Amino acid sequence: MQTLRIALAQIAPRLGGFDENLERHRALLDEARAGGADLVVFPELGLTGYLLQDLAGELAIRLDDLRLADLAAETEGLSAVVSFVEESADHRLFIAAALLEDGRLVHVHRKLFLPTYGLFDERRFFAPGDLLRAVPSRLGVGLGIGVCEDFWHLPVPQLLALDGAQVLVNVSSSPGRDLAATNEVGLGTASSWRGLMRTYAQLTTSFVVFVNRVGIEESISFWGGSEVIGPDGAAVFSAPLYDEGLYPVEVDLAEVRRSRIALPLLRDERPELEIRELGRIVAERAGLAPDATADERAEPGLDVAPPASSIVRP
Amino acid sequence: MTSVAFELPTELAIDTDVARRVIGEFIRGQLRQAGFERAVVGLSGGIDSALVAYLVAEAIGAERLLCVLMPYRTSSPASRTDAEEVVRRLGCASELIEITAMVDGYFGADGAAGALGPEGAEASPLRRGNFAARMRMAVLYDRSVTWRGLVVGTGNKTESLIGYTTLFGDSACAFNPIGDLYKSQVRQMAAAMGVPDEIIAKAPSADLWPGQTDEAEAGFSYPELDRLLFWLVDKRRSPEELVAKGFPAGQVTWATRALAGAEFKRQVPPIAKLGPRTAGIDYLYPRRRPGSTRT
Repeated sequence: MQTLRIALAQIAPRLGGFDENLERHRALLDEARAGGADLVVFPELGLTGYLLQDLAGELAIRLDDLRLADLAAETEGLSAVVSFVEESADHRLFIAAALLEDGRLVHVHRKLFLPTYGLFDERRFFAPGDLLRAVPSRLGVGLGIGVCEDFWHLPVPQLLALDGAQVLVNVSSSPGRDLAATNEVGLGTASSWRGLMRTYAQLTTSFVVFVNRVGIEESISFWGGSEVIGPDGAAVFSAPLYDEGLYPVEVDLAEVRRSRIALPLLRDERPELEIRELGRIVAERAGLAPDATADERAEPGLDVAPPASSIVRP
Repeated sequence: MTSVAFELPTELAIDTDVARRVIGEFIRGQLRQAGFERAVVGLSGGIDSALVAYLVAEAIGAERLLCVLMPYRTSSPASRTDAEEVVRRLGCASELIEITAMVDGYFGADGAAGALGPEGAEASPLRRGNFAARMRMAVLYDRSVTWRGLVVGTGNKTESLIGYTTLFGDSACAFNPIGDLYKSQVRQMAAAMGVPDEIIAKAPSADLWPGQTDEAEAGFSYPELDRLLFWLVDKRRSPEELVAKGFPAGQVTWATRALAGAEFKRQVPPIAKLGPRTAGIDYLYPRRRPGSTRT
């Protein structure tokens, strides 16, 4: 038994209240430590709130900010994932998730995919990150950190697992919507996320730790429902929807080995094949090479040519 | 659960437990962010405001809710009875403020001219109805000061989409907990929350004149209209696709026009862009942020 005790901090950050949120993080780190936690995970933008708009620039911090160092100092004997607005030296603003361990900031993930459609407007205010790296942790496992929308793109969990992550961590501020009675747990957003996270856990034979915030900002309700999924794709723990809380979950990391030997999907991945075909597709999509898989008369972006009968001759 | 019968199109059925939870958090969140603990609801006797009163009472406790009844002299007495029943069942505070003197003071009554002069006697029922709605708004915002509570909106999604609202009248509010629920969903929620059966069962009316009903005016029923709007707006179907799906072409045309024609009612009025930074355009802040709370 290789026990990992995870504490899911399903909190409702105060929008724009950095100091207040920092205090809350400190208090929950203490509480989690007292409960024997090894890893404490806070949601996306837990230190700032989500719908920041022009507040983003006012609340952004540099990675050498003393407040972040102070928070890191509270992680002696602990690992924590916290999230905030990071300002780079050239003044780009990123949605960042940082791994703090044993008093130090050891890794920063900048959100890669910024949804700017529907109710989202992130790209207007933030720059996308360019790096995706699994990170070795003091916990004795590789961690793969992503922020919310990052996990709505297939390559992200796969790359993290191939890079050495055994525990995938997604921190989110997911707005709940679609209350159709036919949805699992009565919420469309929850059904989608639950499906995705179980699939990623199973396909990467990794643990998935999903921490989503709760609370209200403007019109939006964040739905919580944080989860830990085992490498077999089954939920180990599901936090309630909408309830604020610090939820402790205990997992056996030996499950990763068992799963990966029983179902060696990760062993059988073909990244060299992917990179070869992706290289071809990228060149074709850029118009630098003819589309090798398309019908002769197909338009760019679509392999299939229109039926001959639909062609109008002048 | 209630036994009252109402038509709920299958695709519109929502999980009312989740909706109550979300709306409860929404009401508490809106008040907390604004630094208020209490709320004011204008209670007409209809289902929308009754549901909102129930939701507010559940979210913050009936003792923090003030319901204001604001009948005009031609308002249906049954509406007042129904509104009083809601107040009785919830056990919340209430006030009765007749707006007759305010409306008649402008348009005139019984042969006597009002502030508007002789022209007032010629005013159409629509003008009178809109004016009455704005007088109710003025009363609610005044009572919100004395009660130290925010005005809670009671407009539903159907009437907002087709523009069946009075600008700066019944649509005016600090926040609206039911503005994303179609009328059929309002009925489903009302039934789940135990709103009196008589209120759920009666024909919806703006009560602009005696005997008026929404459905007679629009020419089709709320479940029909709700379904049509749901597929048009939420499910992004084109008018042609709706007709192919079996919706009557006349209804599709009417609803599509009403939807487009009411766009202006759902948005903040545009400000002429002149300066470097303009509210709502390139000066974008949350409505409530640190420093905005009343102390």
